[in-house]
Amino acid sequence: MFTFQKVQEVVNIANIKIGGQPGEYPTVLAGTIFYNKHSIVSDPDKGIFDKLAAEKLINRQQELSDETGNPCMVHIYAESGDAAMRYLDFVSNATDAPLLIDSTESRVRMAAASYVSEIGLADKTIYNSLNMAVTEEEIEALTLSDMDSAIILGFNAMDSSLGGRMELLEDGGKVLPHGLLETADECGIKKKLIDPSITPMGNGAGVALRMTIAAKAKWGHPVGSGIHNAPSAWNWLRNIGKEDKLIYKICDIASTGIQQMAAGDFILYGPIENARYTFPMAAMADIMISESVADMGVEPVEGHPIWKLV
Amino acid sequence: MSDDTIAKEWPPVRGDYTVVDPRSRICVATLASDMEAFPDACMVGSCKTENLGIEKIIINTISNSNIRYILVCGTESRGHLSGNTLLAIHHNGIDEQGRIIGSDGAIPFIENIPAKAIERFRQQVELIDRRGLVETGKIQELINEYRSKGNPFPEPPMVIETRKKKQKIEREITGGDMMIAPGILMDSASGVIFAET
Repeated sequence: MFTFQKVQEVVNIANIKIGGQPGEYPTVLAGTIFYNKHSIVSDPDKGIFDKLAAEKLINRQQELSDETGNPCMVHIYAESGDAAMRYLDFVSNATDAPLLIDSTESRVRMAAASYVSEIGLADKTIYNSLNMAVTEEEIEALTLSDMDSAIILGFNAMDSSLGGRMELLEDGGKVLPHGLLETADECGIKKKLIDPSITPMGNGAGVALRMTIAAKAKWGHPVGSGIHNAPSAWNWLRNIGKEDKLIYKICDIASTGIQQMAAGDFILYGPIENARYTFPMAAMADIMISESVADMGVEPVEGHPIWKLV
Repeated sequence: MSDDTIAKEWPPVRGDYTVVDPRSRICVATLASDMEAFPDACMVGSCKTENLGIEKIIINTISNSNIRYILVCGTESRGHLSGNTLLAIHHNGIDEQGRIIGSDGAIPFIENIPAKAIERFRQQVELIDRRGLVETGKIQELINEYRSKGNPFPEPPMVIETRKKKQKIEREITGGDMMIAPGILMDSASGVIFAET
C-alpha cells in the first residue's frame, strides 16, 4: 500500500470519522435501505414499510459495526418527498449513525434537505448527491438548507475518462460552468465526500479506482463509492448467479475490498441485508492495509479492526 | 450472423436483453420491468438508464436494418426516465453538448456514439409509446401486428465502434505524491511508480 503526500482530510459526521491515510481510519460502510424493490417496502410512493423488519436490519448493521470497528451509516433511498420524510423520521429514531439521503429525482433530494433542516437532522444527514445534472433550483435549495455534508459525484456522461471525471469536479469540464467542488462550496457544503461514480464494467467501472487515488492525492477529501453497482449491473454474473447465488454474492461482497485497496474511505455496499458478509470482509481488508503501512508512520486509530479483531 | 440487413456480429453490445428473431421488424424495450422474451420479437430487454441504456438500444438497432419499430412499454424507470428519454432522443436528437433535447431524465447525455448514428436511429425506426403497459397478452398482440410490417430500412446496417481506441498517454511524471516505501514514490496523475533518485 501507500501513503499520500497531501494531508488527508478527516470529516466528522455525527461522530463518525471518514477519511485519512490508508490504514489510519477504518472504512465506513453504508448499507442501503428502502431501495428499489426492497421487500420490506409495500408502498414506495407513500413510504409504507415493515418497521419491525427495518429496525432489525438497522440494528444488525450496527451490531456488526460495533463488533468489527468499521463505522456504519444508513443509506436511505426514497422515491418521493413524502417517503423520504417517513424514512428519515424512522431511521433517525432507530440509530445514531449518519444518514445518507438519496434519490434519482432531485425534487426528492431537495424536499429531504429542507425537511432535515426543519427537524434538526441536517448535521447527521449527507446529501447524495451533487452531480453533473445539478440545477439552479437544487443549488438554491441546498444553500437554504442547513446541510453541510454531501457526496460529490464524478459521473461525467460526456467524458467518462479519468480526466473527464476530474475536470467535472475541478472546473466543470465541458459540462458545467464551474467545478462541482466549487458548487458545493457555494451551497455551504463543508464536508465533501467524493464519489468517482461506478459505471458498468465495460463502460469504465475501473476508472473509479484510479480516480479514488487521484482525487485523494489532489484534494485530500474522503473518497468512496457504491462499487457493488459494478457486479450488480454485470449481465453475465446475473445470469450465472441464477444458477448459484453464492457466485453472485461473492463478487458483490468482494467488490468492497477492491475499493478499499484503492484507498477508498467509505463504501455504499448495497442492500443492508449484506451487512453480515460485508463487515467481516471489510475489516479483514482494513487490517491488512493497516499492517502494510505500519512502518510508514500511519497509526490506526483507536477502535480500528486491527485493535479489535486480531 | 450476417446478411445484407444484419451486421456480421449482431448485436454488437451486450446488455440485459434476449434476441428472439433477428429478422423481426419489432423490438421491445421494457424499461424498468423485467419480462420474459416474447415470441416473434426481434429482441426484448429492459432499459433502466437515460444515458448508457439508450446508447445500447441505438447501437443494437442501427446495426440491424430489419428493425423498424420499437415498442416502449413496461414501468418507467423512476428518476432516470429512460422511456421519456428514448422518446425524446427519437423526437429531438441531441444538442452540441450531447444532451438529449427534451428529456426529463436525471443525466440524459450521449457520450459514446456519433450524431450520425442518432440520426440513423431516428430515420430507421418508429417508436410505439406504450409506457406503463405490462400486460403480456397485449404486448404480444402488438408484436404480432408489427413483426412483419413493412420492409427493412433501405440502408445497410450501421456498425458503431463502441470500444474506445486506446490512446497512448505521454506520461509526464510531475513528482511523487504518494509514498509506497522509503524512496519508492508514485505519481498519482500518471499512475507511475518510481524510485527516487
